Amino acid sequence: MKILYSPEIESLLKSKNIKIGDKVKVLKRKFEQEGILMPRIELGDPSILVLKLQNGYNIGIRYDKDAQIKKIESGKSIRFIPAKALPKKDSQKPTVSILGCGGTIASRIEYKTGAVYPAFSPADLVLSFPKLKDLANIHGRKLFDLWSEDITTEHWKIITNEVAKEINKEKVNGVVLMHGTDFLHYTSAALSFMLQNLPVPVVVTGAQRSSDRGSSDNEINLLSSVLTATSDIAQLTVCMHANSSDEFCYVHSGVKVRKLHTSARDAFKSVNVLPFAKVWYPNSKIEYLRNDFSKRSSGGVKVDDKINPNVTLVCTYPGIKPEFIQSLNNYDGVVIAASGLGHVPTGSHGDKFAKSLIPTIRSLIDSEIPVVIAPQTIHGRIDLNVYDAGRMLNQTGVIGNGCDWTPETALVKLMWVLGHTKDMKKVREMMLTNIAGEISERTEVETHD
Amino acid sequence: MTEKELNYKKLGLKVGLEVHQQLDTEKKLFCNCSTSMKEKDPIKIVMRKMHPVASELGEIDIAAEFEFLRNRNFHYQIFKNETCLVELDDEPPHPMNPEAIQLALQVALLLNCKVPEEIHVMRKTVIDGSNTSGFQRTAIIGTNGYLKYKGKNIPIALVALEEDAAAHVKEESGKVTYRLSRLGIPLVEVTTESLEGHSPKEIQEIAFEVGMICRSIGKVKREIGAIRQDLNVSIRGGNRVEVKGVQELGLLSKVIELEVKRQLSLPKVEKEVRGAQEDGTTKFMRPLPGAKRMYPETDIPPIPLSNDYIQELKKELPEPWTKKFSKFKSKYKLSDELSKTILNSPYLELFERIVAKTHADASTVANTFTSVMKDLEKREKAEINRIREEHYFELFDLIAKKRIMKEAIPVILKYLSERPGETVTGAVKELDISPLTAEELKKIIEEVLQHKGLIFEKAYGIVMSKVRGRIDPQIVMKEVKRMMKL
Repeated sequence: MKILYSPEIESLLKSKNIKIGDKVKVLKRKFEQEGILMPRIELGDPSILVLKLQNGYNIGIRYDKDAQIKKIESGKSIRFIPAKALPKKDSQKPTVSILGCGGTIASRIEYKTGAVYPAFSPADLVLSFPKLKDLANIHGRKLFDLWSEDITTEHWKIITNEVAKEINKEKVNGVVLMHGTDFLHYTSAALSFMLQNLPVPVVVTGAQRSSDRGSSDNEINLLSSVLTATSDIAQLTVCMHANSSDEFCYVHSGVKVRKLHTSARDAFKSVNVLPFAKVWYPNSKIEYLRNDFSKRSSGGVKVDDKINPNVTLVCTYPGIKPEFIQSLNNYDGVVIAASGLGHVPTGSHGDKFAKSLIPTIRSLIDSEIPVVIAPQTIHGRIDLNVYDAGRMLNQTGVIGNGCDWTPETALVKLMWVLGHTKDMKKVREMMLTNIAGEISERTEVETHD
Repeated sequence: MTEKELNYKKLGLKVGLEVHQQLDTEKKLFCNCSTSMKEKDPIKIVMRKMHPVASELGEIDIAAEFEFLRNRNFHYQIFKNETCLVELDDEPPHPMNPEAIQLALQVALLLNCKVPEEIHVMRKTVIDGSNTSGFQRTAIIGTNGYLKYKGKNIPIALVALEEDAAAHVKEESGKVTYRLSRLGIPLVEVTTESLEGHSPKEIQEIAFEVGMICRSIGKVKREIGAIRQDLNVSIRGGNRVEVKGVQELGLLSKVIELEVKRQLSLPKVEKEVRGAQEDGTTKFMRPLPGAKRMYPETDIPPIPLSNDYIQELKKELPEPWTKKFSKFKSKYKLSDELSKTILNSPYLELFERIVAKTHADASTVANTFTSVMKDLEKREKAEINRIREEHYFELFDLIAKKRIMKEAIPVILKYLSERPGETVTGAVKELDISPLTAEELKKIIEEVLQHKGLIFEKAYGIVMSKVRGRIDPQIVMKEVKRMMKL
C-alpha cells in the first residue's frame, strides 16, 4: 500500500524501520496508544498518523515534537484463504461468460486492516453469490479495470472482439459484462451497433452501491443478468435494479437506456420505450413485457467495429454563442442536444440580444460535417415541423427529425456511422435507418407516467 | 444481599457496559432529515434483501451468515421529513453533523477521555437489517477515560459517535419490519472496560451515572428508548454473552441476575447475542460475530480536531450531573430515590416546566410522572401518550389551587387517555370528583351507617367507594372512626 504521509514522517518511519501494517505504540505527553499503523488516505492532514486500534476503530494522532513512535512488532502479511474451486461443469445447465470491464462486482474485506479487495475469479464470484451456480456454469475473466468515465472507443473495440470470441469460439450461451455505471449506457449503445446478428444474449450490468456492503445491488443485478443471459432475448441489453426495493430488475434495450440518477439503485431507466422484461428476484423468474426482440438462434455474431471517435456532443443553453458552434469544425460530426422538440436559438423577431445558431450550423453542414439533433429533455421525440425555429433548423439539413433517440445514443451511432462512411448522403441514410432499436416508431403510453 | 454479592465475586462475574444515548440535534448525523420521529404513518414501504460479504477467511466466516439471511426479507417503513435517500442507502452520507460531534466531545471530556486529533468514521458490519447499508457508521470521539464511582475510577474504554439503527417493529415468518425514521439519529455510545468485582445492582448504578453524564450536556433525547444499554456478561470459565437493548435502567440488575442464572444452568455457554425482553429475561438473537468487523467509511473524509477547539470546549463544559443532582434535590425537596427516577425520566423537562409554572408540590408531580404513569400503563393498559401537555398543566394548576385532590390524578389521567379531546375541568365534572366538603362527607357517612351492624372495615370500604379521588383517605378513615365512636 502506498504511503501518503508527510516527507518528515516518511523519513522517520524509514529510519525506525517501521512499515505500514506494523504494530506500533505512539507516546504523546502522558498518553500512549497502541495500534496498527495504517496508510494515510489521500484526504486530510499528512502529518497525522492513522492507527487501527484493537477494537477495530481508526483514529488520527498528530505527529509533532511531543510525540514518539515505537515499533512493537512487524505486521504479518495478509493471507487470503482462496475461494473453493468451482463446482464441476453441469452439462444440463447453460454456460455464461462474465467479463469484467471495471467497477467491482464482488469484494473481500480484510478486517485486520479494513482494506477492501476486489474479487473477480469465477470461484470468488460463486463464493460471494452461491446462487450463480444454480443458474449456469460460470466462466469469468477480467478484460480491464477502468472507471467507466475512462472508457473510450478503443475499449469498445476490445470488448466487442472479446465478446465475439466467447460466443463464436467458446460457444457460450450468453455473456454478462460488468461495467462501471456512469458511462455504462454509452458502452451498451456502442456494442449494440458493433455486435451484429447476436445469436445469444449479451447483458451489461453494474452496481450503484459498493460491493463491500451487504446491501449492495451487486447480487440482484448480477444474478438477474446471468438469468437474462440464459433467456431468449438475443440482444444487447442492460439489466439493472428497477426500483428502490430488491424486488426485480428491468432488462433494458442497450440503445434506449440512460443513467438518470447519480446514486440510487434504480438509476437506469428505459427512455421512450418499455423495458423488454422484468427479472424477479430472488426466485429468478423472467416476466416479458415486450415481444419485439430478436430470439436466440444458432450461428455466429458479426463484429462491425469500425468507429470514428472524432465526434462531439454539445448542449444548447441560453445565450449560447454562434462562435462556439463554429469552433466545432474540427470534428467529423456534431450532435446537438437541443431544447424542446429540437430547437436552437434562431434570433427570432430581430431581437437585439438573441443570436441565431442557424448560419453556423448551416456552415458546418456545408463543410460536410453532419449535425445530428437529439432532445436535451431526454424523454420524447424530435419534431422540427411544429415551430418556426424547428422548421428553420430542419432546412439547414440537420439529421434527426422524427427520431426519439437519447443524445448519448445519437452520439455513439454517429461515431459508428462515421467509421463506415463520410458521404453526407450515406451518413444521413444510415443515421435514419433503425439498426438496433434506437428509433422507435410508436411511443407507448406506458412509457410516460 | 451481602450473601449475593459474595456469590457474584466468587462466580467471577464480569460485565461490560455499553450505554447508548440519542442526541437531540435538529438534524440527523449524516443527512438533513428531522430527528423528531413524530410521523405516525409510513408513506411507503421499501423491501430489501441483505447478503454476506466475504472476508479474507473465504467460506469460513460466511456460511452462518448465508444461513441467517437466506429467507429474510427486510421491510423498511418510510416517513415524510424523517427519511431520505441517505437512510435508504440510495445516496451517499452527507458530512458528519458538527453539532453532534461537539455534543459527543462534551461527553468524552466529561468522562475524562483522550480525544483523537482526527476523527475517522468507520463502517461496522451489521447483518440484521437494522442498517439499510449493511453497516453502522461509527467513530471514536474519546478513549481511555474514567468515571468516579464510590471513590473508585471506573475505566471508560471509549466514547463513540454513531448513527442509530432503524427501529425494529415486528418480525413474522422471515419478514422483518423496521422503522427507518430512527436510522441516522446521532447516538453517543459509552463503553466501559469489562468490570469485575461489582454486583448487578452496582453495575446498574454505574449505568445510571454514565446516563446522567450523557444527560448533563443538555441536548439529549429523553423519550422511552432514547437511552439504551447493552451488556456483555460472563462468569469465570464461561463464554461472553452480549445482551442487547435493555431500555429500562431499573431492569438492568435483574437482566444481569437472570443472565447469570441462565449461564449457570447450562453445561456450556454459547457465544451469542441475546435481546432483552420487558420482563428482564433474554431471547436468542444471533451468534456473536468474531471481532468487531470494521473498515473505513471512505465516503466521509477524516475530520481534524484542532487543539484550540478542544481547549475552548473544555472551558465551557456543562455542569456535570453530580452537582446538578444535589442542586436538583434541594430545589425540589425530593427524596434521593425520586430525584434519580425523575432525572432519568423522559418527563424531566416537562416536570421542571410544570413545577415552575403551576407551583404544584414537586413530589406530587414527580410521583405522577414516575409511579402513577407506569401503573396506568401497566395495570390499566392506558394509552398515556394520548394525554396532551396542556392536560398536565391544567391538572397540576387545579391541584395547586386545591380544586382537585391528588388522589383523583389516576382516574383523571385514565379518563383523558381515553378522551384526549376533553379538558381536565370537563373530566372532573364528568367523573363527579370535585373535592368534598366536610359537610358532604359527613352526610355520606351518615347514609352508610344507617345500615346497622357494619364493622369498621366494611363501612370504610363502602364510604371510600363513594368518595374515592375526592378527599384524602386519611380524613375519611378518621371521620368514619369518629362517627362510629371507635
